[in-house]
Amino acid sequence: MGMSETGYPWPIETTRLDNGLRVVVSEDRTAPVVAVNLWYDVGSRHEPPGQTGFAHLFEHLMFEGSVNVAKTEHMRLVQGAGGSLNATTNPDRTNYFETMPAEHLATALWLEADRMGGLVPALTQETLDNQREVVKNERRQRYDNVPYGDAWLRLLPLLYPPGHPYHHATIGSMEDLNAAGLATFQDFHSTYYAPNNAVLTVVGDTDAAEVFALAQRYFGALAPRLDIPPAPDGRQVAGTGVPARETVTGEVPAARIYLAHRTHPFGTRGYDVVTVLATILGSGRGSRLYQRLADGARLAQPDLVGAYGVDLAHAPAPLIVTATTRPGVDAARLEAAMAEVVDEIATGGVTAAELERAHALLTTAWWRQLATVDGRADTLGRYATQFGDPARAGDRLPSWLSVSADEIAAVAAEVLAPADRVTLTYLPEVAQ
Amino acid sequence: MSLIAERPEAGPARDYHFPAVVRRPVAGGEVVAAHLPGHRLAVAVLILPAGAGREPVGAPGVATVLAKALEEGTLRRDSAAFALAVEGLGTEVVTALDWDSFQASVQVPAERLLPAVELLAEAVRTPRLDPADVARVRDDEANGLRMDWANPGPRADAALRADLFGTQLRIGRPLHGSPASVAALSVDEVIAFHRQWFGRPGTLVVVGDLDRLDLDALGAAAFAGATEGGPLLEGPLEITLHGGRRILLVDRPGSVQSTLRLGHPAPPRTHPDYVPMVLAATVLGGAFTSRLNHLIREVRGYTYGIRSDFGLSRRFGRFLVSSAVQTAVTAPALVDAVGEIERTRTDGVTEPELAVARSWRAGGLSVELQSPRAIAGALTTLVVYGLPDDYHAQLRQQLLTAGEEEVSAAAARHLRPEALTLVIEGDAAAIRQELTDTGLGEVIDSGELS
Repeated sequence: MGMSETGYPWPIETTRLDNGLRVVVSEDRTAPVVAVNLWYDVGSRHEPPGQTGFAHLFEHLMFEGSVNVAKTEHMRLVQGAGGSLNATTNPDRTNYFETMPAEHLATALWLEADRMGGLVPALTQETLDNQREVVKNERRQRYDNVPYGDAWLRLLPLLYPPGHPYHHATIGSMEDLNAAGLATFQDFHSTYYAPNNAVLTVVGDTDAAEVFALAQRYFGALAPRLDIPPAPDGRQVAGTGVPARETVTGEVPAARIYLAHRTHPFGTRGYDVVTVLATILGSGRGSRLYQRLADGARLAQPDLVGAYGVDLAHAPAPLIVTATTRPGVDAARLEAAMAEVVDEIATGGVTAAELERAHALLTTAWWRQLATVDGRADTLGRYATQFGDPARAGDRLPSWLSVSADEIAAVAAEVLAPADRVTLTYLPEVAQ
Repeated sequence: MSLIAERPEAGPARDYHFPAVVRRPVAGGEVVAAHLPGHRLAVAVLILPAGAGREPVGAPGVATVLAKALEEGTLRRDSAAFALAVEGLGTEVVTALDWDSFQASVQVPAERLLPAVELLAEAVRTPRLDPADVARVRDDEANGLRMDWANPGPRADAALRADLFGTQLRIGRPLHGSPASVAALSVDEVIAFHRQWFGRPGTLVVVGDLDRLDLDALGAAAFAGATEGGPLLEGPLEITLHGGRRILLVDRPGSVQSTLRLGHPAPPRTHPDYVPMVLAATVLGGAFTSRLNHLIREVRGYTYGIRSDFGLSRRFGRFLVSSAVQTAVTAPALVDAVGEIERTRTDGVTEPELAVARSWRAGGLSVELQSPRAIAGALTTLVVYGLPDDYHAQLRQQLLTAGEEEVSAAAARHLRPEALTLVIEGDAAAIRQELTDTGLGEVIDSGELS
């Protein structure tokens, strides 16, 4: 494809119901399946102090029944129709999605409408207590019981000051989860799970007329909420001018270092530059970090070198660089070498060959994400929610491909300054 | 609230057609392809009969080390030049290993597939395998496994595997070897495995818009220089079930969760009960509403998730339940899990449960098989297990028509709760006594495995 061609070559049709629900449809008849995806514009950034983890625990409650759907029935109806389903919560938003054989589209929309409009009367203390335990086990399994598992939990407060919407992690604290009361969750639903705070996207073996009619039938009579409180504004994060540093000594098999920087919000030109920069820095065996630290100086374990941006849209998003020491290598030596590689991007720029490699890798990654109807539905839902127009999804790939070496040097100089760096180090306990 | 109480009716079922399978002999090998029009990306997978099951019993991990060593340069270019050539096309050579096969694949925009396959073949057929590089890759891999084994799970998996199959069989050791077994490999063993197995032509799976791809050229690139090897040993392995149940305790001091791995041997992939076995395991622990997940997650809140399946290879199989539960409820979770396995074996499945399992598995075929990567995976299944081209179409019918009696019979035949090995990786001091008190079996402290 040419550089200016769209990254989304399928049709997109949109409408907005009277209650504010935005509906996005992208028809594709090549397989008899439909992907249904709801983005709610609520995430952990909306959580006040003392309620960390609530948005995510709430996501669990959405699978436990609603006015016309008995407990456990939601899963049974989707899987029993041949579909697959899940949901995720992050700092920005919560999304719910299912991919179904196309003849069950109406069932999927009916289920989503029932839990959008009718969750509160079905929510019981027993369900909350059960899902609280499930989520606490999720936290143990994913963060507490694995080496380095809490790195993200530690990086966020180092990157974002107290009161910033990204200061705390989405999984929340055990203390807050234990204190969660039923009334708070009923209120959470009434506040944020309104049609005017959501985008419904359907991609696959259907058309706009069918989806718009079904959306009207099932969602059309749900009442909007007109006073949805916004999350705290976090777009400006003042640099402290002082590097932040934390060292954790614990049960880890080798020293690991994370270098992190606040960059630009996802969706901006600056963040597109950071995405290309991260690919040059840390994706694949041809990346700078691999070539210098794993292949060249052999300081780092080859499979554990990387750099990536975290695609958050409501504040300067993090760029994270990580490496783990090979046996016998001192952590301070690896950290210095990592910092040198990062600093060189800012001072020395990148080569045309590096840029071309990154463009090629990002092109494949983009089309891989859009190879399935579910990947497309999630992408359109994101752009409609965060940027007001699903068609803006088509801009991302061309924007990446137009990033120049000069822009990378300029953005690197701006956001990768050592004075704004967060360094998190894990050290193994010294053997007795 | 203005919700619609009336449940929607399903529309008429729409046909799903697995793309036609194209088979073509090329240059001593076979190309197996499927046409997926309208996709930008194309996928190629070179499959060699060089799985971990072919490793010498005393060299677990040799294929894994070889797979990593392939990217340390070829006869034509060094490792950095090779990485830049591959990644300059927008891809990487992804290697995968299972018990039956070694696979190397690339995924790129269709117009770049031929140069990507040429590079893939260059790495697989003519790697440099410089002894110093191989030794370093081996040490890195041993260290990588040591890192991985610091997570909960791998040690429990290894303990289960050793107990089910015995370490005198290769399959009684971990698929990728252990930190110690990999560290003990010699460079010569790695080079010998390449010489013995990687000169065979194998099969090239190609999926994408075939109007834009030249299968003959792709096959010629993949099979260049390959020579036919001798006949392959493929019969089922002789495996004996244990006479009684046992609990193996793998210590993980201070662990806030216990990792559960419950299993017993099962028939190989070619068993005629394959479909009813899949459905029985789905009712027991496959779907979200399965018996295990419902009781242990949704009723008890002991876990984030629990699942069961039959994992089947050409020469052997195993039934497995896996989960991680909060330390304090290890014993009751174990009792519940064994109870559900026993109940499923004794009482079979019910029609409402089976209806969900059937639809979910059959529907999953159309839901999952959309992308070039997914179709390539499906074609790889045909190649590795020697299945017919209409396998996926037939599978759908078999899933949809399997009856309650047939699935219950398979559960009765293939679930063996009395022969389970129950591996618990957790804080031994905190849970040993209560595990003993369950009466589920003798508690044995699992020693460190090498």
